[in-house]
Amino acid sequence: MARLELNSLTKAFGAVRCADDLSLTVEPGEIVAVFGPSGSGKTVLLRMIAGMFEPDDGDILIGGQSVVGASPERRGVGMAFQNFALFPHMTAQDNIASGLRAKETRSDAAARVKSIARLLKIEHVLGHAPRELSNGQKQRTALARALIGNPEVLLLDDPLRNVDAKLRYEMRLELPSLLRRGTAAVLYVTQDYREAMAIADRIAVLINGRLEQVARPDEIYGRPASVAVARLFGDPSINLAEVAPCVEQGGVFADISGSRVRLGPVDRHAEDDGACWLGVRPDDLLISAAAGEGGIPARIVAVTPMHEKAVMLLRFADGMEWLAALPSEAGIARADEDVFVRFAPEAALLFDRATGLRVGLPHRRYAA
Amino acid sequence: MDHSGLLGRIFRGVALTLVLVFFMFPIVWILMMSFQTNEQILRIPPRLLFEPTLANYEALISGQLRTAAGNLEISFMRNLFNSFVLSSAAVVLALLLGVPAAYAFARFKFRLGETIAFTLLSFRFAPPLLVLLPLSLYYQQLGLNDTYFGIVWVYQLIALPLILWIVRGYFEDISPDIEHAYRLAGHSWREAFTRIAVPLAGPGIAAAALLSFIFCWNNFVFALILASADKQPVTVGALAFVTASGIQYGQIAAAIVLSVLPTLLLALYAQRYLVEGLSLGAVKG
Amino acid sequence: MSMVQLLQANALPRRTTKLRGRLLPYLLSLPALLVCIAILVPFVTAAIYSLQRYRLNLPYLRGFIGVDNYIDFLSDPAFWNTLRISLIYTAVTVLLELLLGLGIALLLRRPTRFHNAVSIMLLLPLMTAPAIAALMWKLMTNPGFGILSYLVSLFGVHDFKWASDPSTALFTVVLVDVWVYTPFIMILLLAGLRSLPRQPFEAAALDGVPASFVFFRITLPMLAPYIITASLFRLLDSIQQFDIIYAMTQGGPGDRLMVFQVQAYLEFFQYTNVGRSAALLMILWLITNILSNIFIKNWLRLRARAHSHA
Repeated sequence: MARLELNSLTKAFGAVRCADDLSLTVEPGEIVAVFGPSGSGKTVLLRMIAGMFEPDDGDILIGGQSVVGASPERRGVGMAFQNFALFPHMTAQDNIASGLRAKETRSDAAARVKSIARLLKIEHVLGHAPRELSNGQKQRTALARALIGNPEVLLLDDPLRNVDAKLRYEMRLELPSLLRRGTAAVLYVTQDYREAMAIADRIAVLINGRLEQVARPDEIYGRPASVAVARLFGDPSINLAEVAPCVEQGGVFADISGSRVRLGPVDRHAEDDGACWLGVRPDDLLISAAAGEGGIPARIVAVTPMHEKAVMLLRFADGMEWLAALPSEAGIARADEDVFVRFAPEAALLFDRATGLRVGLPHRRYAA
Repeated sequence: MDHSGLLGRIFRGVALTLVLVFFMFPIVWILMMSFQTNEQILRIPPRLLFEPTLANYEALISGQLRTAAGNLEISFMRNLFNSFVLSSAAVVLALLLGVPAAYAFARFKFRLGETIAFTLLSFRFAPPLLVLLPLSLYYQQLGLNDTYFGIVWVYQLIALPLILWIVRGYFEDISPDIEHAYRLAGHSWREAFTRIAVPLAGPGIAAAALLSFIFCWNNFVFALILASADKQPVTVGALAFVTASGIQYGQIAAAIVLSVLPTLLLALYAQRYLVEGLSLGAVKG
Repeated sequence: MSMVQLLQANALPRRTTKLRGRLLPYLLSLPALLVCIAILVPFVTAAIYSLQRYRLNLPYLRGFIGVDNYIDFLSDPAFWNTLRISLIYTAVTVLLELLLGLGIALLLRRPTRFHNAVSIMLLLPLMTAPAIAALMWKLMTNPGFGILSYLVSLFGVHDFKWASDPSTALFTVVLVDVWVYTPFIMILLLAGLRSLPRQPFEAAALDGVPASFVFFRITLPMLAPYIITASLFRLLDSIQQFDIIYAMTQGGPGDRLMVFQVQAYLEFFQYTNVGRSAALLMILWLITNILSNIFIKNWLRLRARAHSHA
């Protein structure tokens, strides 16, 4: 049982800061997803922990012991690579067995390979060379190799990136239980927010080498720490509007395209009426033909039916465009119709325009 | 680019025939000469059909050359043996020196590495005598003149750049992640090198070794300057043999055949990698 | 034992491991560095010799004379002869080999089994040691029984002396050089041709573009990096040609084929004039160094291409 601690990790390649004062703790048995756009430093972070790069500054502790400077084989870290990194000249069996750290007798090793292969449903291809495996089988072999040594820390570098959609869906369901088999502290890198939300106990959002937010998936979605985080979660992504909220009649109000909309009750932040971003998720928008309180007039520019919902492009009077995602059965609206857009005050997220940080407003909790 | 017309096809056929005749004829002709007696060779006009004799090869292999003037001892087999020893040893040494260096140059970007790699490359194109002549004076002082080791050492000038640059390319083509994966499974750097990197670069290493062998074997000027009779390889030996044997042309031809046979066979065997080797790894066949 | 305990058991002081990791590439390339030094020392020695009056037979005259060896060349017809012959030899061989090699590569372009067999056969001259190749041609051009002498006599040319006649010696060694090295250009250009993308050619064929236009405007420009690399390779080897010329005529008849390295070899071993020999080689090195810098640039570009394909 060992906890993984990253203390103020910093790493730069030339002028590019890949890690900027990163601190994160992963408990044994916990799965933390490192999520962020490509180029945000996710892979470099994993590679520093694995010992392929050394940090410029900061410390990496595994079980309270610093591993900075230790060679990769001494860190007790297992890793599954995005491109699988299987040994092309060995069978799947030997690939997996190479992950056994302790020198075991051959029959013991074979038994362990067999049991992990059974778990990952690749028993029947153990004798095959990597080039004879499908991408899904390669990926499972790579996972088996990383898991078999029962590492203290398990690093998964976007392991589902190179497998097809169906398999990715299956693995999303299987992986959490597989990864929780042991007591490894798991760091799971992904570029897919859904994957992060499905698999992880907590999500660490990494942008430009900085951790923007580390929190449970529902919290990240419902209470994003910044505009940048809010934009990364959700498809279609969150609608934003520049607003200057003001306090009146016991509530916070803002003008959106000339209409006054109530955002919530007064709270301690209400006094700073500086420039803000208002964020509303497309799922939270309501459309109706009738005008009324809080309704913002808009025109439906286009409607894209997706399987279970329809995405509408709305244009407000001032030219601003938002997206709304509505259940398909509610599909009364058509393109070129004039409608009124509403959202519940709880759905409104306010971010400081200068810092991008969320300004506190009382919110409901989202279920993931 | 397809000359699909009849005229075009005739032109291509004729051109290819001429090309084949020009490039193959000398080899075929010398091969034929090597099975002929002096009388058959000297006959005018030459005949394409003749009764082959193995006498030339027998004389070479036995080392006894019967001439009109009497028996002549020849050491051609010794030259052949020298070629084998020198070329093989040079390749083995170049592999020992070159493969780890090639790995270092491929995996770690460091300035000294690039300097070494490019210095060796640029000396591949420098006049060999520029290095050889002063070296021969140093060798005399060091007692390395006319030693197998001395010649094998300068053969590195041929073999090392080849091995370094070809094998480097093969190492570069292996994803570093594969080695990382092996190391994370608890294996040392050395194990990852010997069990992952070297086996995966295996075909490239073998090809580079074969080609280095061919180029060392074919070298002439190094041994001409640094070796005396009993250390000389076939290239130098054959030239001396021509002067020594006088008019035994069949034996000269047989000596030529024996000198080129090993490299031609190796070349045929390794032909898939020749383009890569000839371009020092810049063009893949 | 858990990994943590293992870590603690093996815990080396941090700095040692880090340092060892950093030293590793240097340790690995140490042997190659040694060879490098073993090459560079004689090279520097040669450079120093070239600034000395240094004759092996007159050791007591040895002394530093600055660039006198070089200045002497300016007024020495033998030097100008060497330079001239070397340049002519290089220009003629490379040009012939390039044209011939390109022609053959185009003939063999389609990868049929027959074409592949031919291209492998054509490699045999290239794999023959040049010195031995010279011997082969010597046997074939022997005035007494040489098949080639016989063949030209059929065309009424008697007494064709090949390499032993000053007027035909250059032609003869060029012939041998072309025989040995044309396949080099051919095989590189063939690999280049076969690696070219098909689309431009298919588009040209669809548009009915004439063959000559396709060749000059599509094939040649796309093949240019290969042509440049192969030619520079040959230029570099050809200007230093030693084996063929030495085995064939030792630079003769007279000084007809006194190219750089043959001249330097004779200066050293025949006239034992180390200083002059070294100066001559330094001049050759200067020429090759300029060429090889250009070469390496092109070569690196091709190499990068080969590895991005891989």
